Amino acid sequence: MKTPRRFGSRPDRAKPAGMGRLTLLEAAMLLGGLLFLAPIAIIVLTALKPDSEIVHFGSILPRHATLANFGRVLATPEEFPIARWFANSVLVSGATSLLVVTVDALAAYGLARLNLPGKRWVFGLIVATLMVPGQILLTPVYLLLAWLGWLDTYQALIVPAGAGAFGVFMLHQFFLAIPRDIEEAAMIDGCSRLRIFLQIVLPLSRPALATLGIFTFVGSWNDFLGPLVFLDSAEKYTLPVGVAIFQSSYYTEYGLTLAAGVICTLPILLVFLAFQRHIIEGIAMSGLKD
Amino acid sequence: MTGRRRQDWLGYLFVAPYLLLFGAFLVGPLLYGLRLSLFRWEMLNATPPAFIGLGNYREAFSDPNFWKALWATLRMVVWITPCTVLLALFTALGLHSLRGRRQGLYRAAYFVPTMLTITVVGILWRWFYHPDLGLFNSCLQAWFGLKAPWFSDAAWATAAIVIMTVWWTMGGPMVILLAGLQGVPVQYAEAATLDGAGPLQRLWYVTLPILRPVLLFTVALNTIGAFQIFGQTYLVTRGGPEYATRTLVHLIYDTAFQNYRLGYAAALSWLMFLLIGAFAVMQFRMLRER
Amino acid sequence: MNRRAALKAMVLASLPGVAGCGSRRDGKVVIRFWNGFTGPDGGTTLTLVRQFNRANPGIDLRMQRIEWPVYYRKLYVAGLGGRAPEVFVLHTDSLRRFAEAGMVRPIDDLVGTAFPVADIDQNVWRAAQLGGKHYGLPIDVHPLCLYYNRRLLREAGFERPPTDLAEFLAVARRITRASRDPEGVRWGFSISNPSPTVYSVMRQFGGEVFTSDYSRCTLAAPANVAALQLLADLIHKERVAAPFMDFDPWVGFRQGKVGMTWNGIFMLPDLQKQKDLDFAAAPVACLGKRPAVWGNTHNFCLRAGLAPREAEAAWRFIRFYSDHALDWAEAGQVPARRSLRASRRFRDMAVQSQCAAEVPYVTYMPQIPFLFEFQTELDLAVERALRGTATAAEALATAEANVNKIIARRSAEGAAEVRR
Repeated sequence: MKTPRRFGSRPDRAKPAGMGRLTLLEAAMLLGGLLFLAPIAIIVLTALKPDSEIVHFGSILPRHATLANFGRVLATPEEFPIARWFANSVLVSGATSLLVVTVDALAAYGLARLNLPGKRWVFGLIVATLMVPGQILLTPVYLLLAWLGWLDTYQALIVPAGAGAFGVFMLHQFFLAIPRDIEEAAMIDGCSRLRIFLQIVLPLSRPALATLGIFTFVGSWNDFLGPLVFLDSAEKYTLPVGVAIFQSSYYTEYGLTLAAGVICTLPILLVFLAFQRHIIEGIAMSGLKD
Repeated sequence: MTGRRRQDWLGYLFVAPYLLLFGAFLVGPLLYGLRLSLFRWEMLNATPPAFIGLGNYREAFSDPNFWKALWATLRMVVWITPCTVLLALFTALGLHSLRGRRQGLYRAAYFVPTMLTITVVGILWRWFYHPDLGLFNSCLQAWFGLKAPWFSDAAWATAAIVIMTVWWTMGGPMVILLAGLQGVPVQYAEAATLDGAGPLQRLWYVTLPILRPVLLFTVALNTIGAFQIFGQTYLVTRGGPEYATRTLVHLIYDTAFQNYRLGYAAALSWLMFLLIGAFAVMQFRMLRER
Repeated sequence: MNRRAALKAMVLASLPGVAGCGSRRDGKVVIRFWNGFTGPDGGTTLTLVRQFNRANPGIDLRMQRIEWPVYYRKLYVAGLGGRAPEVFVLHTDSLRRFAEAGMVRPIDDLVGTAFPVADIDQNVWRAAQLGGKHYGLPIDVHPLCLYYNRRLLREAGFERPPTDLAEFLAVARRITRASRDPEGVRWGFSISNPSPTVYSVMRQFGGEVFTSDYSRCTLAAPANVAALQLLADLIHKERVAAPFMDFDPWVGFRQGKVGMTWNGIFMLPDLQKQKDLDFAAAPVACLGKRPAVWGNTHNFCLRAGLAPREAEAAWRFIRFYSDHALDWAEAGQVPARRSLRASRRFRDMAVQSQCAAEVPYVTYMPQIPFLFEFQTELDLAVERALRGTATAAEALATAEANVNKIIARRSAEGAAEVRR
């Protein structure tokens, strides 16, 4: 059978004629990918340059590579306690993920599976807030936190994050896709709803929960405005704010600020490389609603 | 056992923790912000807050800073959204035609920038656009003897923000679109091929119509995101030149946290919220009709 | 209800449950000290804080640094919520805003007779005063100074920096050199700190930016317009100053492409790192009819409502810092006390001792509560004129109208008038 196969989009193709086009396409994709990664490579390379090479631009590659910038960023723990900020970021992001995953999983299960009165209305309201820009809540939430006496505490960064609607929405869609029969079988066996949730639904949803957890972790790690506004004490800062402060102090020293940026970025890149499948598929999942 | 179909008030216990946070840190502050917007509340004055009805809104409509910020925001939205979504679409199409491991590898490359925190992105691009030391002008200078006025010309500064934003945010839409493409049944394309359709025709008549809801969804999400641009202008152009790139969120931040005009800032926030809401409703309408 | 009570009521209504600090442990007085010294000056301060803690075992002084813009925001809000630190730094132009909000404790009783007040320049000490009380101890003065590239000046045939307009133009013209090669370009002058530079020249022309009771903005007065137009003309007509924004005026100076620039004395550490730059500093040239230069002062202040024991400990620190202002001067400052400036050690600091001559005629930004809003308008006008998108007259007229609108809005809202 002669099939005019010209479009390289199917996995079963292996004709040498199309191979050339595939390679061309792939070359383009490769080039584009490198272009996207280039800024990150350049930031690392520039951070390795001594100050004099940065002020007199010669080439992208450092002529005399040095770790001096990194050394100086890490050398003044009293002034810039990067390790402390790092630990804060881990603590805040970790606690936020835990809170969000727990609370959102419970809520999403209730809304997806239980016969709650008025749940369509409640779910609709939750989904509608997806388009509320976070910044417009800044002032009211600030006043609320002040009223609670939570300003300049870690929980000011953690607890409000639990109100976000994204996780509920995402897990709701995921739970809907789990076949009901399994739960119904368990129900007939006399399991309580909580046990069904804990012993059947949760294990089945591990990938979705992991995705939400990583997602929240990264979002919280990268949050800038929250810590900037809610925290006062330098020893409570998270990395992005710390690095921003660092940058404003050394704004004429690009080498130092770039090195600080690299230090702030590395952990998140590692998380990404380790979990990239989860992260990317999680985002894809959020886009493909019913 | 048989009562499962009944209305299940008790099931709200699952949803309660989330609803508590949702009410306290999202709906509550949102409504409190609305109330705040009807008051004159200047923290710099010793006068207590006073109810002034729609006074803040009236002030906004006659405030040139508001209009300037509104236009700056719209200018960015009309560039960022099409550029991001089109680039994401082409990248997704390209990735879709690749196979297995390599697809995952390239996908990760295009996605990495999305993982970076805005602080680092800001440091990076402010450095790229630097008039003398920056990478872009160094290259333009070396190759063509030219310099681009990245910070000093309104159009160039807008372009600067658009370019970095597309680079930073393209990953999300791309992943969603790629997942959408993978949902397009192979048989459709094959049938079209048998009918003698070329690759472009297949793309136009088969793939895109099926992809339409996902595409519109990404457009809507991206528009909402583009309306909320803040970090880029705050860190890179500082709103300049002549506040031509100071966006609405940037103006709100300045109003609330530099001039302490909390009531006016709340009114600006709500105006922005209404604007985004109008856009979102419009786009979701388009999404629904098909 | 007076201002402070009104503020307090407002705060209590909006922010209850916020506890004040100032706790003690094992008998030590805990003094929190906030400042914005996030640059190299922070290291100096840290050293002094350590010294102080060693010398005063009964006091636990804890320092925190936040970059200035964020610092002021946080300090103000912390003050409203009763969480302000015991000791903090206020620039002279921000002093009034905090003092009027009732957040600062007058220091006159602590100064008493033990502190040599006469050692501080009259104009600097007076600027820390409001309604007959002093609200902070001035530690330093940090004016703009004229940094110049010695090599470029010498090559152009000048041995000393210019002091008046004619000399200034002559030097700038001789140094400026156009070239297609970016490494070959030379500029006589670059405006690396725009608004302070413009403000300095305005004052040199005899301009005032407000009426004496701050009831009306006079930015568009002829003297101010002439001053801004002169600087714009240096760029666009004379072409001896680097174009605004398309050239990094400060990095350009560091790279040796600029003959002269006016910037704060606090930028000195940045230049000292540039080993291949042969620079020196002098008082800024007087381009108008009388000497004037933008400057500011770090005042060390105490929180209102301190217990006597805390106030005593805090004052001891402030006094200590003032006594050690020579260490502080190394980071690019001029001590506010004349006896320190007369010392051998200070006279050996080349740049600092040059700029000390500017102290008598240093001019502060207006002390207004809406300083940020005013500065936004001034910055915009300066930017428009220097970029050439508006004439100085147009730009300043718009700014003046906008500032007057702010004043009208504030008086309609019942804000107390600004007292001098």
